[in-house]
Amino acid sequence: MANIAEQRIKREFKEVVKSDEVSAFNIKVELVNDTFTELRGEIAGPPDTAYEGGKFKLEIKIPETYPFNPPQVKFVTKIWHPNISSVTGAICLDILKDQWAAAMTLRTVLLSLQALLAAAEPDDPQDAVVAQQFKENNPIFQRTARHWTCAYAGGPKSDKELEEKVVSMKNMGFDEHKARVALSTKDWDVTRAAEYLIS
Amino acid sequence: MGNCFKSSSNDDISLLRGNDHHDPALEPAPFVEPPPPYRPQQRMPIFHPSPGVSRPANQLTEDEQIKIAQRLGLINHLPTGKYDGTNKKAKECVICMNEFVFGDELRYLPCMHCYHRECIDDWLMRSFTCPSCMEPVDAALLTTYQTS
Ligand SMILES: [Zn+2]
Ligand SMILES: [Zn+2]
Repeated sequence: MANIAEQRIKREFKEVVKSDEVSAFNIKVELVNDTFTELRGEIAGPPDTAYEGGKFKLEIKIPETYPFNPPQVKFVTKIWHPNISSVTGAICLDILKDQWAAAMTLRTVLLSLQALLAAAEPDDPQDAVVAQQFKENNPIFQRTARHWTCAYAGGPKSDKELEEKVVSMKNMGFDEHKARVALSTKDWDVTRAAEYLIS
Repeated sequence: MGNCFKSSSNDDISLLRGNDHHDPALEPAPFVEPPPPYRPQQRMPIFHPSPGVSRPANQLTEDEQIKIAQRLGLINHLPTGKYDGTNKKAKECVICMNEFVFGDELRYLPCMHCYHRECIDDWLMRSFTCPSCMEPVDAALLTTYQTS
């Protein structure tokens, strides 16, 4: 790893670790290896959003050319959000692409991701299915996102009805995660979700 | 925020089109250092003709070589200096996050942000904006030419 990249990550790591956001359990960064090329991030779901109460883990890869190029970041925790792929966790965020600037830090990135959770941009989607639901059936989107926060990010249990639908499909022999994806995609219509999985 | 479905290959170097021949008489006084002759193999082995594109010098198209030569010329018009501790506001280079020490070679951008020369030159070859305030450097430079 280039010297400047490693030096910066070491300093940034300290900066994030001692920041106020950490003591407030808002953001967190951990080392994965001692070469500083890969880190594990975590952000708390923002209050008054469908992600509230959830902890979202992130994979952060530091390129050799950091900070001249942005870190590569994706969600490890599954999440239902228009700008984050529900399949791969890939993120659509301009500062992680062409709006990156060398003065930005891991802390900037984590706080920006938190802001993205609070304010989705459905017109620049990463996940077309989620974005369509966000725009056309927002109440269902909110319930679905909250349900995913509970199922994958340790968020509070809230929606018995959705949980029961997942269980009913599990009892039909479907894999739990696949059932949840199908139900989420088909606006929680069990018949259509089952058809979707069989076809 | 997100803009994945937009083209990410918009070439910021193309901002320099047309306006790149400088009348030396119009150049402001601090920019006394003339641009060095363009020697890609000696100066920098890898170039970034547009964002996200990295190629060794011998694989650049003629167009890209011209753009890079122009960019190098513009960068060399930006004032430089040695850190002497008189500027109390500039304490560290936000690119490498190291504190300035006496004698460090600095480069000043038109927005008055300053960095290690080595750090900022590397950045400016990729993106011609100030990494702190996002001010486009070439726009400011061209304005300087017009008003001086
Ligand atoms: Zn520096
Ligand atoms: Zn600036």
